[in-house]
Amino acid sequence: MRTFKFVSLIALVILALVAVSCAAPTPEPTKPPAPTAVPATKAPAAEPTKAPAQPTTAPATAAPKPTEAPKPVTVTNPPTSPEMVDAIDLMGKKVTVTYWHQRPQAQQELLQSMLDEFNKTNPYGITAKAEIAGASYPDVYTKVSAAIQASQPPEMSVAYQNQAAFYRGSNAVVNIDPFLKSKKYGLSEADAKDYVQAFLDTDQNPQFKNERLGFPTQRSAEVMYVNMDWLKKLGYNEIPKDWKTWEEAACKAADPATKKYGWAFRHDASNFASQVFSRGGRILAADGQSYAFNSQAGVDTLAMIQRMFKNKCAVEIPVAERNGEQTRFGNGEVLFVFASSSGMSFYQDSVAKGAKFAWDISLLPQSGAKPAMNLYGASASIYKTTPEKELAAWLVIKFLGEKTQTAKWAAATGYLPVRQSAKQDVIDTLKKNPAWGPVADSYAKIFDWVQYSMIESPVAGYDPVRDNIDKKMMTLVLTDFTVDPKKLLDDAVKEANQILKENAPK
Amino acid sequence: MATRSVEMTGVTTTRRSSVRIWRRAQEVSLGYLLLAPTLIILIVFEIFPIFYGLYISACDWRLTCVDFIGINNYLRAFDDSAVWQSLLVTATYSIIAVPVQLGLGLGLAYLLFQKVRGQQFFRVLFFTPYITSTVASAAVWSFLYNQDKGLINAILTRLGLPAFRWLGERTGVFQLLANNFNVDLPGWADGPSLAMVALVIYTTWVFVGYDIAIFLAGLGNIPTELYDAAKVDGASGWTLFRHITFPLLSPTTFFLLILTVIGTFKAFNHIWVMTQGGPVDATTTTSIYIFKQLFQFNRYGYSAALSFILFAVILALTIFQNRFAGRRVVYD
Repeated sequence: MRTFKFVSLIALVILALVAVSCAAPTPEPTKPPAPTAVPATKAPAAEPTKAPAQPTTAPATAAPKPTEAPKPVTVTNPPTSPEMVDAIDLMGKKVTVTYWHQRPQAQQELLQSMLDEFNKTNPYGITAKAEIAGASYPDVYTKVSAAIQASQPPEMSVAYQNQAAFYRGSNAVVNIDPFLKSKKYGLSEADAKDYVQAFLDTDQNPQFKNERLGFPTQRSAEVMYVNMDWLKKLGYNEIPKDWKTWEEAACKAADPATKKYGWAFRHDASNFASQVFSRGGRILAADGQSYAFNSQAGVDTLAMIQRMFKNKCAVEIPVAERNGEQTRFGNGEVLFVFASSSGMSFYQDSVAKGAKFAWDISLLPQSGAKPAMNLYGASASIYKTTPEKELAAWLVIKFLGEKTQTAKWAAATGYLPVRQSAKQDVIDTLKKNPAWGPVADSYAKIFDWVQYSMIESPVAGYDPVRDNIDKKMMTLVLTDFTVDPKKLLDDAVKEANQILKENAPK
Repeated sequence: MATRSVEMTGVTTTRRSSVRIWRRAQEVSLGYLLLAPTLIILIVFEIFPIFYGLYISACDWRLTCVDFIGINNYLRAFDDSAVWQSLLVTATYSIIAVPVQLGLGLGLAYLLFQKVRGQQFFRVLFFTPYITSTVASAAVWSFLYNQDKGLINAILTRLGLPAFRWLGERTGVFQLLANNFNVDLPGWADGPSLAMVALVIYTTWVFVGYDIAIFLAGLGNIPTELYDAAKVDGASGWTLFRHITFPLLSPTTFFLLILTVIGTFKAFNHIWVMTQGGPVDATTTTSIYIFKQLFQFNRYGYSAALSFILFAVILALTIFQNRFAGRRVVYD
């Protein structure tokens, strides 16, 4: 009997050891999606803050005990730690990733050709395809919102930071940090350092404890386009660096009788935000808890716009006159325009077809304690689908961020590449392109200004705030010269804070 | 024997009645089978979305229903001054657009009904804007209205008149006129904004062709004998119009009135293309306000509730018109 018990015990121990040794090295990463059965809405909400803390501690504690078998990792959906991401096995899964964007057909073809390269080279058999989901960011936003409600989101799409925050409010978008920090699939230290840090920072969302709700594949900035020939004729040898000189030059240039103006006012809240930044102000308070554009910087901005319209130094570009500021600039009808750097090739084309003059770009005039530039550009967000698809989407984003790809994309679109190492390649390519020619040197300047980057507001509900800034506040100051800018700003901030509260995560 | 005969009759009657029931069941089933595709389409695309919309309107909806809040979205609408303002803008738009559109439509239809040269050409000419894409024509009109590049201001300035901001002008038209005499009118006497008037001009240009087509059909249905008899009695052109044409055209006018009022209350496309509800909120009709609440403010539940409120307003208006204007319609 004793012998039997002893033999049984030995057998059990052997069986247990065999079981452990079989299970430990491959913790069946593909099966764990079972945890997706965990109520989908609860999982990400409950854990996101703890998860990012794990990656740094986990390897350190596991390492000193090589004899002890590592615990099998349960992969939640979405994965909340790099270890969970490491545990996902994509081999043989043949995952398909759909990427919704708003680029025109020519850029869709370029994007798809890049993805075709990815499809050929990735070892996991992932198939990525790009799809045009609309003609603008709001179109994509509308389509993604509808798709989320129908529980059929794409694997990834372009999304502004505030839009990603809105999706995150419904747990529909995933935190990219665990993927980024994954040892197996993430970015190496060298690669991470090569990314422009200012670009990476923009996707960490203060409303969701700095979760990374998107990843940059391109960026642009609000710059000032200047008709240099005209400026020299007015007696200015250099681009005005302060607001007072700038306003003086704009008013000197204006002649309403011949329909020439110093500044083309483009309907866009970024126009206002860029000026507030350049005066040392902010749109959203640093802690993300309230709006702050009713500061002195905001008042000075509105007062100047009001004054310029009163003195007929500026012209309003109606909403319906699409790209009117660009056309008028090209025709030599406006001296200054504030617009995205991504439009530089279009401005070059417009001038070449129009009044053919020398032009340049510059930072907006500055009066803050330190220079500031409004950095914008949508990122790529990953939607909650399955851990395998989420990982596949991350690998697509990672591929698009590689030096070769980001350089190719930037050279074709006029956006900024996301890696520092790609800068020279892009400039060299642009210099060879007759459509860019001398403008490539102007483009190169933006890299020097990236250090001054500011972003408007990455929180959910920023779109209506933008609408109020532009359609109400700005429209009022340029039509009613008696309205008090401070009161307008205070009212707008009050309403913006109400929207912020309404859109706060529940 | 007699008993057997009665039994036989009973059996036959039972058989006949079961055959009748079977046939009836077959007929009914066939009927429902034939109706099924239409019913399915109606349920899936009409009835279900209505009830789903109702459900969304009772939720704090953030891509899913995060909180069931009952009638709170409806109560919120009553406290929202912007909703009342948008209804006022919609009513103003309707009050100006409907009479202008119907009056002009009737006048032009009456002219085209006479024997005039190039009648067919004018009919096609007036109808063309109606079949043109609204978005495309609204974009073209936006450019015509452009303050310093548009054709309208170019003509006005050539004539020595001032250029207007048109779609960008929220000042009332009466105040704009009074400005010429340096008179400042009280707020209530400002009149509709110039942007609103610009929209009405566009709306009239688009829809007058449709009104003409319907009025022409109505005019064709009036018996010519009535005109002949009246002429024999010495009736003049105006008398003929007032006592024969207008009363007998009333069913057509009533039909167009209901359609036009509903149309103006639902108007969206051209307003969005031309002004997006601006300047400030001068042309923010209820439809535009609902759209903004949904797509810019992410207020799904609230915008759904507003849609039902707008539906109720349109329904109430239609019932009101049916009750009061319907009484004056002459059908014979």
